[in-house]
Amino acid sequence: MIVPARQFGTLVGLLALCVILWILTPYFMTVSNLLNVAEQTSINAIVAVGMTFVILSGGIDLSVGSIVALSGVVLGTSLQAGHSLAVALPLSLAAGLLCGLANGALVSWGGLPPFIVTLGTMSIARGAALLFTEGRPVSGFDPSFRVLATGRVGFVPAPVIETTMVYAAAHFVLAHTTFGRYVYAIGGNEEATRLSGVSVRFHKTMIYGVSGLMSALAAVILTARLNSAQPIAGMMYELDAIAATVIGGTSLMGGDGTLSGTLVGALIMGVLRNGLNLLGVSSFLQQIVIGAVIVVAVLIDTVLKRKNRT
Amino acid sequence: MADGPPILEMRGIRKAFPGVVALDGVDLTLEAGAVHMLLGENGAGKSTLMKILSGAYTKDAGDIRINGRAVEIRSPRDALALGIRVIYQELNLVPHLSVAENIFLGAAPVRWGGFVDWHELYGRTSRLLADLGMSLDPRALVSRLGIAQRQMVEIAKALSGSAFAKASVDQAAIADQSASVLVMDEPTSSLTSREVTQLFALIQRLAARGVAIVYITHRLDEVFRIGHRITVMRDGRVVATRPIQDVTVPELVRMMANRDLADHFPKIPVERGTELLRVENVGGGPLSGITFSLHAGEVLGIAGLLGAGRTELARVVAGADRCQEGRILVQGREVRFRDPEDAIAHGIGLLPEDRKAQGLVPGLTVARNIALPHGRRLARFGILPRQCETAMADPIVAELRVKATSTQPVRLLSGGNQQKVVLGKWLAGDVRIFIFDEPTRGVDVGAKVEIYNLMNRLTARGAGIIMISSELPELLGMSDRILVMHRGRLRAEIAAADATEERVLSAALGLAHSGQAS
Repeated sequence: MIVPARQFGTLVGLLALCVILWILTPYFMTVSNLLNVAEQTSINAIVAVGMTFVILSGGIDLSVGSIVALSGVVLGTSLQAGHSLAVALPLSLAAGLLCGLANGALVSWGGLPPFIVTLGTMSIARGAALLFTEGRPVSGFDPSFRVLATGRVGFVPAPVIETTMVYAAAHFVLAHTTFGRYVYAIGGNEEATRLSGVSVRFHKTMIYGVSGLMSALAAVILTARLNSAQPIAGMMYELDAIAATVIGGTSLMGGDGTLSGTLVGALIMGVLRNGLNLLGVSSFLQQIVIGAVIVVAVLIDTVLKRKNRT
Repeated sequence: MADGPPILEMRGIRKAFPGVVALDGVDLTLEAGAVHMLLGENGAGKSTLMKILSGAYTKDAGDIRINGRAVEIRSPRDALALGIRVIYQELNLVPHLSVAENIFLGAAPVRWGGFVDWHELYGRTSRLLADLGMSLDPRALVSRLGIAQRQMVEIAKALSGSAFAKASVDQAAIADQSASVLVMDEPTSSLTSREVTQLFALIQRLAARGVAIVYITHRLDEVFRIGHRITVMRDGRVVATRPIQDVTVPELVRMMANRDLADHFPKIPVERGTELLRVENVGGGPLSGITFSLHAGEVLGIAGLLGAGRTELARVVAGADRCQEGRILVQGREVRFRDPEDAIAHGIGLLPEDRKAQGLVPGLTVARNIALPHGRRLARFGILPRQCETAMADPIVAELRVKATSTQPVRLLSGGNQQKVVLGKWLAGDVRIFIFDEPTRGVDVGAKVEIYNLMNRLTARGAGIIMISSELPELLGMSDRILVMHRGRLRAEIAAADATEERVLSAALGLAHSGQAS
């Protein structure tokens, strides 16, 4: 927590990456491309908010991608059934929230490892989404809904504004509420937190609930953007979200990390993808580069922390 | 018993840790074929001495001789090479492997460059077990064995690599190559009496074979059953080393306990107030039939050896573990705690035994650690007002003289200051019943005195304190009454005026005539 220097390091990394891409391909540094990057990053960035809560508390959530798909198809089918957005949106968010709370309850009261519980949910939620839609995408929505992804305020795309709002709200929760304190405390030392009279089980359940809710929010934007709710959406989102979180400096051991770091981490992932596309790097090679960046970023992080601690 | 020269000599061993001299010029001489009993209260330095012997610690000064030759033990590997084997209290076996695999873990016979030669492994194990007189199946899984049998496996493992485990013992070779020293740290603490008999028979066989055995124990009856010589340690020094026939039980207790009461305890007695807490017939787990009460203005000391059930009792009263039998009353009303939250709501605060593992969130600041139990009270609709935690913590940091600011992460603080932060967590709330489990462990002298002063202030305000401690002077110096626990039960209750180290220690050791020793 007292390592602003380290935080700064990730930001420097992001800026350096931008400069390199600017030199390699001048188009990168245009306003329209940067807005494009921000828009493309928004979904991963929102999923990564939930992931950051979970990882800060010492857990992991592998089910986020499947929850994105399930919440998406709930939204899509209810919109197509003729329900208004005022009905469909809460339904979709509730689906994501419930999946997350179920994860949390099994981790807290069931005493199961988060890895196992969310691995199970990953499969269950995916299967439910496929079953629900018989494997077919649900497409074609009213423009009044699609504006959530395609709209602009001035020249800023709506998803960028939505992401900003989510980060502002999540940051407030993490920094200024008891819930936020308990997230760090549980991740830092669960037993000490319990002995301090904090209801660890309740709060852990809520933490996974937050993650499910964030996945559902991401699903709303994704569905609006694609004009289609797909049961196979959100594949590998969990890995992107974990990558953004750890590149952003959050410790997988829990108790240490920031949301601003996660945002920078998500942007690094987004910038890297965008830049590699602009450079015409093959998608096979892209995977290798992104994998290497994740490992190197965490390696630098670990080395810096070791220095800071001694 | 052999009349030969000492197999191992330690002379003038000194070891200091930051703030504490753990060993101050200790001498210990071991002879082949003798069982050497090592006694002393918790923290007397027995374990540190044995860790130097086993290479886990390196000594600051002094020398070690084996068969008259000076040796250096810098690592566990050196100790093994010199034939020194240590069996610790907590067993280090892999439960899902067989007896044979455990005994030869990492040293299994192989053939064809890497495949375990099972036939040879089981054969060797059978010969070793037969040689040691142990009736164990080499193929049995360790997870299926009882504690005593596991201990046997541990002993067999310890002896497997050394010279004297070979079927035909070449005495000259032993004398030349290895010390053949076996150290056992409270091996009987979890054994039944039949199992103890088995273990003792084995120890006697090993001794008869020329092994020098160091046996650490708290049980005085054992001293006289298998000991040949005895060394009593206290405060990092050797009080005496004697042949067993030259000592009596009361003498031993006095040697272990007696000390200059030079330590100063700033105890301020307070008039005893109303009953805050009553514990009736509490049991379950290691505990059984525990009844006592705590009054306002009182410090109730709880003495006992490691494993007597003191921490378990503290955890039950503080709601950290469920109360399985009996009942707990807070200010006359029966309570059922499901978790620590319930206990805190009834004004009970626990200072846990292990502050790193149970007391603190290392990455959080001093203020946030102190405010952790009070989140609900500080927040409005879950939102913490700006600076509310530092506002709560600052006066406490000042009162306890924590040498840090409220905004520093606690992991950067020294042990004493960390302990003050854990204490500070309970000063901000409405806690009236404080349970301090080893409040001054690993704390420097200055911080100790400040913790004692704080206890005085708390009792003056009408709080009651239960203080669990392994330091007898502290218990005698700060308590109004002392309860002594032995194997999960209350063995004695001693008023401060009548308490002496001998009395408390006799009861803690489970001696039949507690209180006569003085």
